[in-house]
Amino acid sequence: MNQIILSLFNGLSASSIILLTSLGLAVTFGLMGVINMAHGEFIMIGAYTTFVVHELFRLFLPRTVFDFYYLLSIPAAFLVSFLIGMVLEKLVISRLYGREVDSLLATWGVSIILQQTARSVFGSQGVAVTSPGFLSGGLKLGNIVFSYNRIFIVALVLLCLLLVWLIMYRSGFGSQMRATMQNRAMAQSLGINSRKVDSITFACGSGLAGIAGCTIALLGSVDSTVGQNYIVNSFMAVVLGGVGKLLGTFLGSNIIGFSGIFVENFTSSSIAKAIVLLIVIVFLQKRPKGLFVVRSRALDE
Amino acid sequence: MKMKLRKYFKNILFSIIVLALAGLPFLFVAGFVKSTMIIFFGKCMAYAIIAIGLDMIWGYTGILSLGHGLYFALGAYGMGMYLKLQATGGAITDFMKVGGLSKLPLIWQPFLTIPGMSLMIFLVPGLIAGLIGFFTFKNRVKGVYFSIISQALTWAAYSLFIALSPYTNGNVGITEIQSMLGSIKGNKNVDKLIFLFYIGLIILILVYVIAERLMKTKFGKILIAIRDGENRTYFSGYSVSTYKTFVYVMSAVFAAIAGALFINFNGSITPTAMTISYSVTMVIWVAIGGRGTLVGAVLGAFLINFCEYRFSSGAMVEVWQYVVGLLFIVSVVFFKNGIVGGIYERLCPRNE
Repeated sequence: MNQIILSLFNGLSASSIILLTSLGLAVTFGLMGVINMAHGEFIMIGAYTTFVVHELFRLFLPRTVFDFYYLLSIPAAFLVSFLIGMVLEKLVISRLYGREVDSLLATWGVSIILQQTARSVFGSQGVAVTSPGFLSGGLKLGNIVFSYNRIFIVALVLLCLLLVWLIMYRSGFGSQMRATMQNRAMAQSLGINSRKVDSITFACGSGLAGIAGCTIALLGSVDSTVGQNYIVNSFMAVVLGGVGKLLGTFLGSNIIGFSGIFVENFTSSSIAKAIVLLIVIVFLQKRPKGLFVVRSRALDE
Repeated sequence: MKMKLRKYFKNILFSIIVLALAGLPFLFVAGFVKSTMIIFFGKCMAYAIIAIGLDMIWGYTGILSLGHGLYFALGAYGMGMYLKLQATGGAITDFMKVGGLSKLPLIWQPFLTIPGMSLMIFLVPGLIAGLIGFFTFKNRVKGVYFSIISQALTWAAYSLFIALSPYTNGNVGITEIQSMLGSIKGNKNVDKLIFLFYIGLIILILVYVIAERLMKTKFGKILIAIRDGENRTYFSGYSVSTYKTFVYVMSAVFAAIAGALFINFNGSITPTAMTISYSVTMVIWVAIGGRGTLVGAVLGAFLINFCEYRFSSGAMVEVWQYVVGLLFIVSVVFFKNGIVGGIYERLCPRNE
């Protein structure tokens, strides 16, 4: 029984991390059709921002307020990746709308540059942050310990999901955004500044990746390639869920996360990873557009 | 004159590359270049072969595979397993003993002989590519969706190869092997190295000629039609998915051949060949050289690798990463046709 609960909790925790890393992608890829291969590097930027805030607190502020560094690092990570995302959109992405495959290749170039920048600034050795005091330890229920770290991540993911949903479906900007993505020409003729919408949407997606980086900094050491470990799973989660659907991304991440933990019970974790990916690939043969399909009469989507 | 130049430009360029390569061993014998340079260009020829395969599916057919490292690795591992067994005389290897195996696993058995090994090098990548291609293309998974799937597939294979270390030696890969001709290192084996180099060159020429001829036929034109208007090609009555599957399998086999050649020069293969960055780097060669030109793929493979070879050691290593990233962005955003495409249009403009 304990084993089952623990597995479920691990599954929840794994899915929440995948979900957080793929939320940003759901925005950039799902809504804008931009394949941002540098998404992993935005995660890295978020993680390094956390590290920088951590160091600043450690060096300049008294011990008593040290724990607050983490609360500050979340908006900081969002802001830094938001701004870098905005610059990237202006310089590169905006020239590549409608050329999906090219956007994939160009952002790969961006990712090489960002990784090298990180290596030049922070060195190729990994850096680590200490968890804030209020996240160390865990909640003890019976014989099982639920680490606060993981619980916090799940809560943070839910909060982000809620915010994205609110912005996308319950705000003026969200409806402008969806209008632009669905029919650009129509949205423009109705007076929506589509350049601005593109720019902010992309920056938001990058900012979400930054928040994901914040949580990843808690889980292990951070180096320049840390983001690379997450992009395959997040792309698969977005594609599995169905591009352009928030609920789809949510389900896709959960399926990949939970089934990974489930398969891990029978074999090693890297074989489990491979098996889950293969299952998803087979599933996508059956439903190439994922779980939730945005219905359309267009021949080419 | 202009017409002629336009017609033969690409083949002339390829001939120049081949002549330069063919002359390289003479420089080596004369003492102008070191043996490491010959080995390096040998590896580049393998890269050029895989680039040709990638250009066939990407430049001509519009299928962007981000997982060709998988087929490259399969070819290299196949050849590596054979060469490893040659080194041990058919006995089980050290890493198998460490992994707890007592006799040669079944999957290694075909690699005891040259025919078995050759068959596996063609068959395994061909079958995997055939299966993936058949189902994905039949279900009309296209564009970036295919790229993402191919990338996930390679990532899965990477995890498997690392996890199954008794069979694959995990992270370390297959190392400490000699080429098919025996050792190519040292002064004693200069003739073997040169011989191996020319074998590589002949394979490169063969692959190029096959690809170039094929792209000139109706088959090649249909591939271009698929790239430029997939639905129109469907409506014209062509079985698009069959064409796509065929060319995908062909390029996977080219990649496997490239891998098999590569390990002869390199002497080892690790699972890093199946990382995403490795596969995307291959696409970079094609993009910068010029997609849809074949010779551009070859040129790109040589050029990028040569620059990397020169700059990736010492003080330039950091700068090189920035340069390669920038080059890639600039070439994709502004010069879609790459080097060869750019020169081609400049030399012989279409409207004259």
